[in-house]
Amino acid sequence: MTLYKDPEGSEKKYLHKFVDFARARVLEVGCGEGRMTWQYAKSTGATIGIDPDRDALRVATVDRPSDLQDKVLFACAESECLPFSSETFDIAVLAWSL
Amino acid sequence: MVHALEEIRRVLVPEGILLDIRPLADRWPVEVASAGAVRETGRLDDLAEQVNADAASNEAMQAAEARGWFKREQAEFFPFFYSWDTPGDMEEFIAEDWSDFIGLGEAARQATRSAWAVGEADSRVRVRVKILITKWRVTAADRNSYRRNTTAPG
Repeated sequence: MTLYKDPEGSEKKYLHKFVDFARARVLEVGCGEGRMTWQYAKSTGATIGIDPDRDALRVATVDRPSDLQDKVLFACAESECLPFSSETFDIAVLAWSL
Repeated sequence: MVHALEEIRRVLVPEGILLDIRPLADRWPVEVASAGAVRETGRLDDLAEQVNADAASNEAMQAAEARGWFKREQAEFFPFFYSWDTPGDMEEFIAEDWSDFIGLGEAARQATRSAWAVGEADSRVRVRVKILITKWRVTAADRNSYRRNTTAPG
């Protein structure tokens, strides 16, 4: 079975329409396998994706493009208890996760 | 959910941005699409779990706004297509991945199969998912007020 998700690229278009990611420190909550992450992370200063699903995070880590190795990190965490200091991020993205 | 929003606010800088992107149940259309034409063949059925989940998410954001944590700046809907080569592929996906919150009725299933069978060679089957994207801004409200109000005296 072949599934094509958003072949017209609407999500990427709207992400960049709503927010300027340039050099921003971004937290993505519910990143899963990183499908959304790859649509904006290149322009950020740094991106951290969190998800409670370790299997999904393994896929995201394996799929991470080589030019994003130093810019995008993934962590297993719950949104109710974020393992970060206060005022760490410029942008938070709730990726189909609220 | 509300506590998660409080946590997100905590880790955002003052004037930081929260971008909430999520699908909303809205009896998503099923379509048969080729390069030359798009034909709606039916609608998926929203099951109670998805409707309730949407309501809970909306209520959580309203609560966060009412507490002065975030201010809504911008919101829009846009379509996000899930597309398959055949109706059978779509049915398989819905059964495996969406059956807890979305239903495919027999009438829509049959109409989609029929339209695809007589369609162009490049015809695909797709579901038009309704996505809501909302931009929220961290407000200047006292960041510690909620914790003060909910922390037991020691």
